[in-house]
Amino acid sequence: MNLAEGVQIVSFGILAVMMLGAALGVVLLNQIVYSAFLLGGVFMSISGLYILLNADFVAAAQILIYVGAVNVLILFAIMLVNKKEEFKPVRNRWIRQGATALVCVGLLALLSTMVLATPWAVDTTTVNASSTIIQIGKHFFSDFLLPFELASVLLLMAMVGAIILARRDFIPERKATTTEVETALTLPERPRELSGS
Amino acid sequence: MDFSSTVASQLNAGVILPEGLVIITLMVVLVGDIILGRNASRQLSYVAIAGLLGSVVALYFQWDNSQTIGFLGGFNGDNLSIVFRGTIVLSTAFTILMSIRYIQQSGTALAEFVSILLTATLGAMFLCGANDLVMIFLSLETLSISSYLLTGYTKRDPRSNEAALKYLLIGAASSAIFLYGVSLLYGLSGGEIRLDAIAAQLTDLSSGQSLGVAIALVFAIAGIAFKISAVPFHQWTPDVYEGSPTPVVAFLSVGSKAAGFALAIRLLVTVFGQVTPEWQFIFTALAVLSMILGNVVALAQTSMKRMLAYSSIAQAGFVMIGLVAGSDDGYASMVFYLFIYLFMNLGAFTCVILFSLRTGTDQIAEYSGLYQKDPLLTLALSICLLSLGGIPPLAGFFGKIYLFWVGWQAGLYGLVLLGLVTSVVSIYYYIRVVKMMVVKEPHEMSDTVKNYPPIRWNLPGMRPLQVGLVLSLVATTLAGILSNPLFNLANSSISNSSVFQTASTPVILSESIINRQSLSE
Repeated sequence: MNLAEGVQIVSFGILAVMMLGAALGVVLLNQIVYSAFLLGGVFMSISGLYILLNADFVAAAQILIYVGAVNVLILFAIMLVNKKEEFKPVRNRWIRQGATALVCVGLLALLSTMVLATPWAVDTTTVNASSTIIQIGKHFFSDFLLPFELASVLLLMAMVGAIILARRDFIPERKATTTEVETALTLPERPRELSGS
Repeated sequence: MDFSSTVASQLNAGVILPEGLVIITLMVVLVGDIILGRNASRQLSYVAIAGLLGSVVALYFQWDNSQTIGFLGGFNGDNLSIVFRGTIVLSTAFTILMSIRYIQQSGTALAEFVSILLTATLGAMFLCGANDLVMIFLSLETLSISSYLLTGYTKRDPRSNEAALKYLLIGAASSAIFLYGVSLLYGLSGGEIRLDAIAAQLTDLSSGQSLGVAIALVFAIAGIAFKISAVPFHQWTPDVYEGSPTPVVAFLSVGSKAAGFALAIRLLVTVFGQVTPEWQFIFTALAVLSMILGNVVALAQTSMKRMLAYSSIAQAGFVMIGLVAGSDDGYASMVFYLFIYLFMNLGAFTCVILFSLRTGTDQIAEYSGLYQKDPLLTLALSICLLSLGGIPPLAGFFGKIYLFWVGWQAGLYGLVLLGLVTSVVSIYYYIRVVKMMVVKEPHEMSDTVKNYPPIRWNLPGMRPLQVGLVLSLVATTLAGILSNPLFNLANSSISNSSVFQTASTPVILSESIINRQSLSE
């Protein structure tokens, strides 16, 4: 084993431990702000793994998008919601937690058996790593052209949808017509409890 | 030759002409709404319908096209996908017809609704022809995200908010599971994303790959079963159907479901051809559960929308018989049934919308005595419900008989018998509504029907509803008697599609020349 391989293995170990620890913290900590910051840690460690895999552009995009945008947005959302609520502890909570743990451990066992039993076809060809951006660009404009274009439609519609959900609407006044049902941004069907009367 | 012209000569971009028309329509509606303002939104929705019909025409001219593979293997516009895309486009056109009045009365913006609906259609259409894993996942997400937005469109209604949130959370979980399964396929095939290439790599299952393939299969089926709302994955359906605007429900129950079945056929037949007995077993279980639970729970419903939700779960169970049969006839019967289901289910939803717009309720008990006040609505709803139940001269009967006949040919006696028994159960709850409307004496009329408003078709947006109602009524009545052209269409769509010929011996197409070598230079 030469020095480069040793460094790779050690840094992989450190990143993996960081990622697992942070991920466990996200799930197990009670303070939601800690969870949000630890989520940022998970994303950072994942981008470190990408760098180990020679995917520099993906690593940078991971940090920019997930840490820079998504995680900050989550933190904003947490800080804007200033609601203190004392939850009553659910009775027999350990049964639920035990069942969840059982399912998760079972799934983990199944998946790890699968990972170990499968002879993975590992690609041994070394890729010239100097220009991943050019390669990604070539793929985007050849065999990934259609998904790339479809993603633009998807993003446009996500934006329109977000604006529709967030904007302040002019709420039409209910007109007292006898012919048809007019509603103000609600379904025309009455809720079930009202419709009985 | 430089890179761009090398690629451009191989794209064969003509195969997505119908989708291109939908995208242009979408942009026209979106930009036109900004320029012309809210008053023009009704005209814009007619523009959308015109664009969708243009897309159907484009699909017609692509029938039996010899060059079906486009975008270097990313899209496969064969006859199978054309039939499914046609079904989806028609269902959207019908949905727009019925949504104009509904959306305007609920006070929400119509043009944005239409454009989100068009995006959902676009995602569903791409899903029908998607031929690689990235394309499948992206089009699935386009369909799903637009559906979440549509579900929560009436944003001041708590039921709509609840439905959207439930749909979003369960949908996100199911896409995550689906994505995990798909990533396993990518790994097992040694880094292939095209479906036929994956199938070529997965031929040897003896050497320890079988467990990985099985897990990939189960996870992929979980994602598909969520889209078609087959029973263990159906929990979202009743709540989402109850809380969504009714035109959205109509689209989800027909367009979205058709896209799910198209994905199921393509993915299972192409990639999982080696494990056909396994997925047929899983789908048998899903079909049995869907038929039993859908039909039995529908009996107890008091709300029309919830009843139609459970009935759509049950109908998905019937369609799965064709999938389990696994023959060309089986797939043809699925296509045929989905096409008929389009008309009868959308017809039923048009009637439900009309009734709820006039009275503000969708409780089944409130329909009693409707015959005295609104004969056309009663006639249309009765015909559509009876057709859904499978009463002989109507279209639904022929669809069901074809499905059951194919299942019987394939030796699925238990499944077919169960289908027959549960059909009888379904006839009971469909007829209950018909009886409520037709048989009741005038003094048994519900208060809602007593106060039924005068029928005025000249109100803005009512005319398209009437057109949709009459069209679906005519189609449901005539498609049964004159079903031969449809039958031939379904059969030839299956027999001419490359999916089913290459299922056993996958061929790598020679057109997609851009190989990894030239890209990695």
